[in-house]
Amino acid sequence: MLLISYVLLVLYYLVAGYGVLTLFRLRLKTAYVITLSVLLGVAVASVVPFLMQLLFIPLTPVAVFGVLILAAAALNTPSILRIRREGFTAFRRSLKPPPFRLSPYEIPFLAIFAFFAIVSIWRCYYLPPTSRDALSGPEAIAEFAVREHSMINSFFNVDLSTTNNQFKSPYLISLQLICKMAGFPFGQIWLSPVFVSFTIFLYHALKEKLHPIVAGLLLLLFLMTPETYAYTFMILYDYSNMIFFFLSLWFLFGYFRNKVAAWFYFSGLLMGIATYIRSETVVLAFLFLPPILLALYREHMTAAKIALACLFFFLPSALGYYLPGPLYIGHYLPAHYDVGGLVNTDLSDWSPLFQRYSDMATRLIFSIFGVHLWGYIFFVAVGLLIVEFFVPGRYNRDARNWLYAIGVLYLGLGALGFVLPLIDLNDTTKREFFKMLPLLLLYLANNAALIRLSQWISRWEGDPVVIGRVSAKPAPGSAKSVGGSAKPAPAPAPNKGKPAPAPSKKRRRK
Amino acid sequence: MKSLILTVISFLLILVVLNAGYYPTWFNSKPVKYWNDFLTEKDDTLDAAGIRKSRYGISYVISLSVKQAVESKHLSNPVILFEPNSYYRDSLHIYPNVKAPEPAVFYYYTGLEGVWTNSPDVGRANYLVRVTKKGVALEAIHNPAQLQQILAYYRKFTPIL
Repeated sequence: MLLISYVLLVLYYLVAGYGVLTLFRLRLKTAYVITLSVLLGVAVASVVPFLMQLLFIPLTPVAVFGVLILAAAALNTPSILRIRREGFTAFRRSLKPPPFRLSPYEIPFLAIFAFFAIVSIWRCYYLPPTSRDALSGPEAIAEFAVREHSMINSFFNVDLSTTNNQFKSPYLISLQLICKMAGFPFGQIWLSPVFVSFTIFLYHALKEKLHPIVAGLLLLLFLMTPETYAYTFMILYDYSNMIFFFLSLWFLFGYFRNKVAAWFYFSGLLMGIATYIRSETVVLAFLFLPPILLALYREHMTAAKIALACLFFFLPSALGYYLPGPLYIGHYLPAHYDVGGLVNTDLSDWSPLFQRYSDMATRLIFSIFGVHLWGYIFFVAVGLLIVEFFVPGRYNRDARNWLYAIGVLYLGLGALGFVLPLIDLNDTTKREFFKMLPLLLLYLANNAALIRLSQWISRWEGDPVVIGRVSAKPAPGSAKSVGGSAKPAPAPAPNKGKPAPAPSKKRRRK
Repeated sequence: MKSLILTVISFLLILVVLNAGYYPTWFNSKPVKYWNDFLTEKDDTLDAAGIRKSRYGISYVISLSVKQAVESKHLSNPVILFEPNSYYRDSLHIYPNVKAPEPAVFYYYTGLEGVWTNSPDVGRANYLVRVTKKGVALEAIHNPAQLQQILAYYRKFTPIL
């Protein structure tokens, strides 16, 4: 019975997220469509009970699952209309996945990834949430919401002076509530589809630029970051926040290349979801305003159009900040949270800021403690950053974008810790560092040295042996396609590998 | 043949990573241990409460025993006062093996209201959970004077998580 519930939940995420994705009419590889759909579906599920709470709708199982289904149906209206118009066969044909292809040398990596995934999935399912931040806030609120049909429940009547976790985003509460109502006493199982989908997404994103062996190795380094891996089976905000923040930048940088407006607005939506999960992300989002303005300016847009585009980009982030923050905490919760009282009162003294930047490097990254948190991924990245300096075609535009993101994140996190001393180094900033890891990976995917290495392997390999059906032509965006080329691989648009026609003028920004 | 060589290289690369520096320590103490846990856990017959007990440890067990005592004695509106964890640490030397839950977590575990000695609502406490090296006892607090005596006794121990 639980297995059926599990499958239905994952199916729900897939369908609901697919609805969101189709609204943007993005042309993406099947692997991206599936993984993004699941991730977006989790986001939809995390918003629905919260919105019901805002509207004072009792959170009974019938109401919650009813509204969830209605939301999925509403989001999929364009697809439903398309099925009515073209027939289900045509619709199914459009979803037909490409032939399954797998190189033998990918199998060892896939085996170890599967090992990590199985361990994580089991612990999500079998063990209750354990982190104190969850138990003293969202998990407890969700538990009593199931019994009392409201997120504003008896939990708020007890002494909460030892915690501020009751004020954190309803993201966890909603997802826990749904899973508990679906029959899982510990909830938590929503995290596994998130983890698996993101891992698959990352693997495909890396394989766009690099040989599968290099991509597999980088992904292994990512999975073997001890701290991050722990949060694949321990519910909290940071892992999900990392994913949506990264995806937002992935689509934003994709937009910088392909100029398809839908990518830009989709990136804004993803940043909004990241902000909904962790409110301070809104500050990091605004740090990307300069490259956005530059990109829009280069398209010769008028000032009014630039302002409008920025407004639509940041609107989801503003909502993601306002709804669970000022609105919900300020006007719904019985206890209020005075963030203003937590702000550093001596902002003229910058020495703590520089101390924070120094501590982030010396204590959180390049230290024994840092190795215990992240393994050696930072060392590998810094080493390859230096190596790239000596390689022709160094620091291409994509690499520079990701380096900018890494720099902005580093500076932003330090500044947040300076302004809000509550964001301590060893807990909050440490977990905020999760966001750095996929950025590092994508920088490495654009590192000229690794791209050259990939090309060298591909040339040496020649026609690869492939398990599964071989399509007539290899995917143009794969590392294989650059085999034989003496030049570094050009930065392909992230939707390469899909036979996508040039975007229509409708979707193209003027 | 080249694919075979690359497959061997893939294996070797994974082995190198798994054996480099800190990775083997972590890999064996976490993922491999979790895998071994999985092999035993998949066949066990613990219910949700049993899994919680084994996962949350002594803090959860103390909370449950308080809940059982409250239910068996049919106590109405109990507000449970916990001794400070610094008392367990500095006086009894049993911390962190024995820990009092914070009120929010105690409510999650039991649905009962708990307070610490520095809680705003400590004046409403009518039962005290007293932990000794012999065991745990739930003692009634009969009047405000007795409560003040208890609070005075623990005053030098600041509550900690």
